Amino acid sequence: MATRVAEVSSLVPGLSPERAVNWPKRTRARLPNGLEVVLAEAHSIPKFHGELFFRAGNAQVVDRAPGLADMTATVVRTGTAKRPSRKIEEDLRSLGADLGTSASQDTSAISFAGLSEFSESILQLVNELAREAAFPEPEFERERRQKLEEVKLERTSPGFLAGERLRKVLFGSHPYAQISPSESEVAAYKREDLLSTYGQIYTPENGLLMLVGDFDPQAMLKTIEATFGNWTGQKPSAKQAPAPPKPRGRRVYMVHNPGSVQTQILIGCHAITRRDPDWIKLGLANSLYGGAFNSRLVMNIREDKGYTYSPRSGVHPLRHHGYFSVSAAVRNDVVAASLTEMFYEIDKLRSVPVPEAELADAQNYVTGVFSMGLATQEGLLSQFSTVELNELPPDYLETYRDKIRAVTPADLLATARKYFDSANMQIVVVGDRAQIEEQANLFGDVEVYGAQGGKIS
Amino acid sequence: MKQLQIPIHTKTLANGLRVVVVPDTTAPVVTLGVYYKIGFRLEPQGRSGFAHLFEHMMFQGSENAPKMQHIKLINSSGGVLNGSTMYDVTNYYEATPSNALERVMWLEADRMRALKVDDENLRNQRDVVKEEVRVNVLNQPYGGFPWLDMPPVAFRNWANAHNFYGDFADLDAASLVDVQKFFHTYYVPNNAVLLLLGDVKPEDALTLAEKYFGSIPAGAAPPFADPSEPPQEAERRGHVEEKFGTLPAMAIGYVMPKRRTPEWYAMALLDQALHGGRAGRIHRELVLEKQIAVEADGGIDDIFGYNGPTQMTTRILHKPEYSDEATLAAFDTVLQEVQQNGISDEELQQLKVKWRSDYYSTLEGGRGGYMPRYGLMHLLACFTLFDNDPQLVNTILDGFLAVTKEQVQAAARKFLRPENRAIVFRTPINKDAKEAA
Repeated sequence: MATRVAEVSSLVPGLSPERAVNWPKRTRARLPNGLEVVLAEAHSIPKFHGELFFRAGNAQVVDRAPGLADMTATVVRTGTAKRPSRKIEEDLRSLGADLGTSASQDTSAISFAGLSEFSESILQLVNELAREAAFPEPEFERERRQKLEEVKLERTSPGFLAGERLRKVLFGSHPYAQISPSESEVAAYKREDLLSTYGQIYTPENGLLMLVGDFDPQAMLKTIEATFGNWTGQKPSAKQAPAPPKPRGRRVYMVHNPGSVQTQILIGCHAITRRDPDWIKLGLANSLYGGAFNSRLVMNIREDKGYTYSPRSGVHPLRHHGYFSVSAAVRNDVVAASLTEMFYEIDKLRSVPVPEAELADAQNYVTGVFSMGLATQEGLLSQFSTVELNELPPDYLETYRDKIRAVTPADLLATARKYFDSANMQIVVVGDRAQIEEQANLFGDVEVYGAQGGKIS
Repeated sequence: MKQLQIPIHTKTLANGLRVVVVPDTTAPVVTLGVYYKIGFRLEPQGRSGFAHLFEHMMFQGSENAPKMQHIKLINSSGGVLNGSTMYDVTNYYEATPSNALERVMWLEADRMRALKVDDENLRNQRDVVKEEVRVNVLNQPYGGFPWLDMPPVAFRNWANAHNFYGDFADLDAASLVDVQKFFHTYYVPNNAVLLLLGDVKPEDALTLAEKYFGSIPAGAAPPFADPSEPPQEAERRGHVEEKFGTLPAMAIGYVMPKRRTPEWYAMALLDQALHGGRAGRIHRELVLEKQIAVEADGGIDDIFGYNGPTQMTTRILHKPEYSDEATLAAFDTVLQEVQQNGISDEELQQLKVKWRSDYYSTLEGGRGGYMPRYGLMHLLACFTLFDNDPQLVNTILDGFLAVTKEQVQAAARKFLRPENRAIVFRTPINKDAKEAA
């Protein structure tokens, strides 16, 4: 399908014919122990990027403590049966490698990159971390104390406070409500809880190993079989979680942050996951609204009115639920004006069909940016892992651009009406109460919280 | 050992614009950059923050592409764009599907030829920049630490020591006359380099460069103030209040040797030894072993991207139960260890492998995954503007791999001295995190 023509001045050079976008072939395998493997060649530099995912994260173990999978991941890299912490770090350096361990709500992961000439040794180290992490007591204790300082510190960031409040409002008693543990929860972490989390989540049957880079896939697959083949372990059973609340009507949640010289606005509502058939349309609608520099929201409250430097909107897919949000850090005296424009642009998309030319612009943007991922090993890894982790159709990447281009103004209108839930948007403002309360009152009943999370009024 | 060899094609147009092309068909994407050799270091006195405000103005309209057209045309061609202001250069860049190359070149040429902006645009972007300063500095814990806190403590020449984001009074004082004057002084083709990387044939790229940029008139050679510093004779210290954060912080900066000297290569490896992640000596000692600090990181910021006085800077957030002086003493012990005992052959070998691996990633890497070859573009631009030699991209690695452990130790002794450093303490004003209910 050819690029659609956008309206431009006559001096502007037109677009020449598009070159084909070809995603590299993936080599797939499933080892007898259940470990899924996806490999792709990319020879841009003599390195490779990889990630060993496990399909469970903080949500899986939230009944023991929020953030427990994340803490487990942190301590995984601090020692194995064979190597103490310092040796792990020095070995990584000697292999030209970077490595990170982390957990989100739905996954835990060991991510790594290094020189292709050392790929076997790097995989051997990843294998040790996945199977033989020792959780040395002093390392655990240090990381726990470290985490205590971090959770205190993050409460001083307006962006964190806004995100935390919106997630609590949208997800209630569902595990997705918790984006970070409290000080007392961290203080109560126990090494045994980390060990049992590790045993439960870090198993081959629960795992997905993805590698992109400068290697021969068949040789690499042999190395992987030799390295990970004799690992055993079952997938943990899926957890039932309570349904998230369905907030009706707009409400305002103010987080009082004394001394703020700016207000962080974050509004949001429930949406969908990547597996939903509407996902592609919603992504396009978001791009038009506030997901691109050229979007309506950015042009309005930044380029026209100068209220903010950093307006944006996003669609956030978690595994079982998704949500839509709009954010901007604005001058204290234009909080009400900024919210008004945010809702104006939402309501306009919900009531007036998008002009064809503007739709074509947005389609070109979304399809063009999508192809940028082809240029780097990290970009490819990110796209491939999105497909695998969400269990999207195998031709998802190959058909994505055509699906974007098939969206019509009527589709977008329906999508905006369905998912940009204007009447039920929840509004979070983080700022100095005395400076913004009157403005906040104009948008609904206001609940006020402190930066430590407690309700003030 | 597999070495990367980047194919580089260059040409200088009659108006002095240098053009650098690197073909690469990995993806049907092209990255285009224009770098001007002016950054915030040498912006006009009395106009702090102007170079950055001006960068914003470059998106506000040019002769044939009025406000919003530039952004709209790039996005609607499937591309992304941005600009950034650094110490000694300002860049503008786009990554687009390769079928939009000619359009992107037209746009960049149009704004190199003539900026067309009005007072309303200037008022608008002044407001936007103030919110940028608030969101990144004034309303953030440790905002601007240490990149804005350190210069006034470390340096004596206004060029190096002023507020690069800009005092609001100076931003308010900036006028359209200033904008046009700055444009005509520094934004001339003979003070710039055009870079094209990706899915384009070198001969096509050079032809298009001539077609779109060739007729832009050259300007007078821009004047550059002298950024050199008087010799430093004693340690310098400064104090800044931390309004939001809970932990005491400090930054320690050591003035770097002149770029591309043997001592500079040695300092780069010493930097890796000290600041190379969790294996780095400073993080290992202060965070992992002594457990004094919560964060201890830093290093030489953008080692290839500066052309004047700069520092290797360590940034430490430490636990309140340790005093600033106790933390500093522990930091000093780490440096003394290298000064007295040097580093082992094995450590040096590890540092070089990691340096090489990181260098490859710099060449490949984008910004946020969506700006392919940003790193390569940046190096080519800086090597062209500062050294007139983009081929350094292919040879500079050798300089780092040739460093000896004796050179690393000598660099530690010569540069990591108190008389060569400045320290900024950023101290929380509010240690009590409890809130009034």
